[in-house]
Amino acid sequence: MVLISSARDYVGRMLQDISGMKVLVVDSQTVSIVSVVYSQSELLQKEVFLVELVDSMSKESMAHLKAVYFLRPTSENIQHLRRHLASPRFGEYHLFFSNILKTTQIQVLADSDEQEVVKQVQEFYADFVAIDPCHFTLNMPLNHIYMLPAVVDPPSSQNFCDRAVDGIAAVFLALKRRPVIRYQRTSDIAKRIAQEASKLMYEQESGLFDFRRTEISPLLLIIDRRDDPVTPLLNQWTYQAMVHELLGIEDNKVNLRSIGKISEDHQEVVLSSEQDAFFKANMYENFGDLGMNIKQMVDEFQQIAKSNQNIQTIEDMAKFVDNYPEYRRMQGNVSKHVTMVTEMSKIVEERKLMLVSQTEQELACNGGQVAAFEAVINLLNNESISDVDRLRLVMLYALRYEKESSVQLMQLFNKLSSLSAKYKPGLVQFLLKQAGVDKRTGDLFGNRDLLNIARNMARGLKGVENVYTQHQPLLFQTMESITKGRLRDLDYPFVGNHFQQGRPQEVVIFIIGGTTYEEARVVTLQNATNSGTRFILGGSVVLNSKRFLKDLEEAQRIARASSAV
Amino acid sequence: MATRNRTPLYRKYRDALRNVRVPSHSSSGGGGGAGPVIELVSTSLLHSNRSYAPLSTDDPGSSSNGAHTMGLSPAWVDISEEISANMQRVRTKMSELAKAHGKALMPSFGDGKEDQHLIEALTHEITDLLKRSEKKLQRLAASGPSEDSNVRKNVQRSLATDLQNLSMELRKKQSAYLKRLRQQKEGQDGVDLEMNLNGSRSDVEDDEFSDLSFNEHQMSKLKKSEAFTREREREIQQVVESVNELAQIMKDLSILVIDQGTIVDRIDYNIQNVTASVEEGFKQLQKLFILPAGRENTEERGDGEVCYDPHHHVFYHAGSSYSEGDILVIKSDGNSVYYGLDASSVTAIPIQS
Repeated sequence: MVLISSARDYVGRMLQDISGMKVLVVDSQTVSIVSVVYSQSELLQKEVFLVELVDSMSKESMAHLKAVYFLRPTSENIQHLRRHLASPRFGEYHLFFSNILKTTQIQVLADSDEQEVVKQVQEFYADFVAIDPCHFTLNMPLNHIYMLPAVVDPPSSQNFCDRAVDGIAAVFLALKRRPVIRYQRTSDIAKRIAQEASKLMYEQESGLFDFRRTEISPLLLIIDRRDDPVTPLLNQWTYQAMVHELLGIEDNKVNLRSIGKISEDHQEVVLSSEQDAFFKANMYENFGDLGMNIKQMVDEFQQIAKSNQNIQTIEDMAKFVDNYPEYRRMQGNVSKHVTMVTEMSKIVEERKLMLVSQTEQELACNGGQVAAFEAVINLLNNESISDVDRLRLVMLYALRYEKESSVQLMQLFNKLSSLSAKYKPGLVQFLLKQAGVDKRTGDLFGNRDLLNIARNMARGLKGVENVYTQHQPLLFQTMESITKGRLRDLDYPFVGNHFQQGRPQEVVIFIIGGTTYEEARVVTLQNATNSGTRFILGGSVVLNSKRFLKDLEEAQRIARASSAV
Repeated sequence: MATRNRTPLYRKYRDALRNVRVPSHSSSGGGGGAGPVIELVSTSLLHSNRSYAPLSTDDPGSSSNGAHTMGLSPAWVDISEEISANMQRVRTKMSELAKAHGKALMPSFGDGKEDQHLIEALTHEITDLLKRSEKKLQRLAASGPSEDSNVRKNVQRSLATDLQNLSMELRKKQSAYLKRLRQQKEGQDGVDLEMNLNGSRSDVEDDEFSDLSFNEHQMSKLKKSEAFTREREREIQQVVESVNELAQIMKDLSILVIDQGTIVDRIDYNIQNVTASVEEGFKQLQKLFILPAGRENTEERGDGEVCYDPHHHVFYHAGSSYSEGDILVIKSDGNSVYYGLDASSVTAIPIQS
């Protein structure tokens, strides 16, 4: 939908009007932005024959090339550009920035351009990594910052907020919309980002954001990851989410080098719904159905392979040769998916994830404290369960029964620390401090008000199709509230005096601290119901449990250090 | 998709700063020359390739070598332009060929030869152009990890893709033509029948007058039809040969062409790996041409290795873990085309049906 195609259009428009051989100069962020929406062969078609990082030290003069820069307007990039413009290597300079330039930055650039090689300076607002049609990330490197109070590290905190505001602003500039803004009341950082975004859109750059009004303003909702710490802690069983959880996806690429003996073509593979029809059809399927579909794909491929061996006539032969590139492509794709699914099955078996996940889902979705405690204790005692899975189980139990059972909780902490010295139980307490029930706004476990309890019970009675995928992220409820116009003003206040009239048709939900592929799936499925409201999901990173725990540990470390001072 | 053009503001600042800058330059020893030179530059924005060449006099410190070559394209650009020009010619010739094919397939007896000669000549010319372009393409290859060699490799890839598409198109045309030809040949009995029908009808009209000439007429028809068949066979043979040649070209190119949707087609991957991967491709390509002709095909070969000799054309032998069925050996003599998925299981397909 909109996100990928607008980012693609931005890149296409940068390149199309500049004739001749070109070099594209990117930075460490824009390279991801471009890479997920544009391919190398498409670049070659646009006569871009070299892609270079802005901090590369190359001195080679190539005046026959025209340079197209696509950079974030950071001060480091401006410094690099100063250096480049002072001794130009390329014939022409076309400067595109992914966000709003400060006037001073333009002055600095103009000052360095003594030889007048710059032909244009443009703002093209592709400042987000559009990994899926309705899902974007900002790939923020210091993601743990959001958990720390601003006073701990004010400059980092400011950088974090600036990047988030930039990304959000760019999404709305690409959509040509100015939203009303709401945020999660209990999160300071959500409030801060919401207010800064509002200031940018309604005060500082109100002209830029002054688009043709739609009848009902779109909505920007800013929430905090800590309002739903459960989703990033769960094992995943749908294809895309599972790959990220077990193997890791980065900018729609999966690194398989760790697997061991693997053919050279598959050390790193692309997993993009835009380019891979099989993946597009199966990215939200659960592991069981996926296995069947993969088998079917392999069968089909074998049919084709067989018919290729059965060459009777010159026509057959010519046809085989003509179709060979397609055949080879298919073969590459089949073996890519087979490799990944095989590897994931292996991990599931090794770590007994079916067993673990069942208890995880029970903890996340159903009541029954006594049974849950027993299940967790059993798993902690089970030799084949890995340390990280044990930690996650205790975390999930702690989040669920934070208030109800402090005695059992202490038992679990002790058990955990006796089992593995590496995981300090302090991390679970830190999680509770960060994301405990007092900090949360949404009704994470559906047990706060009568309506939610009733709804939960009704669901329990209906029975679940699949115990491993019964969890619905909190985001699902939030979206439901939005489409029904029931999102409470008290919990999600508006910024300023721009209020919502009626149900919004376009909603961007930004999760500070990162989204998950489970949530992205729920958003896509929600959009497919044609409820009249379209959602776009974005976050500072895309989380799996590993990344979430890493951020938590990092934040804990810094918090400890700063309180020690 | 909002955008904002900051060029006017930028220009305003730059122009304002230029006035400040000029005196500082003349004082630094550049002389009065600096001012006029900059003027010159700003007026020749359109011919930007050379726009700042004169400026190089401004700072002789920055390698006088660079100053001379600045604005001038390196020599390999000529090669790439030649290849592009060749491909343009191929495109024109290809549309001529399509017309010729169409004409040759029309049922006409008299000057069928002319059409065939034209087709032969055109096919030959196109194949030759493609072959030459492909040879030229190799000259684009550069060694060393310089950025220029990266550019050359990418230009090469891009041209290889175009070239492959053209070869593919030509092959499709030829296959279609070949198929139609063979259909015609098979359907010849039917055609004859119809001719006889026509002939007999005209006989009835012409009465017994032409009893003798009728036979002669038939005879000459028969002869012509025989000649026609022979001619067609020769054509088919020719097309098959050309298909083989093309396959060779395509195989060579496939090493260079990027497989879409794979990691190789990722921009971020290429920033790190452009040098490594293309160089590997090149080693393979060179191996291909260094291999002595006449090397036997029965030898065991590793993945990615390619063998080539005057009689056997290996279409594809891609290196991959699932390489069964990946190799296609083609040999053709006057009567049959032989193929096999490896050298030990070669099957013959007779050209005559």
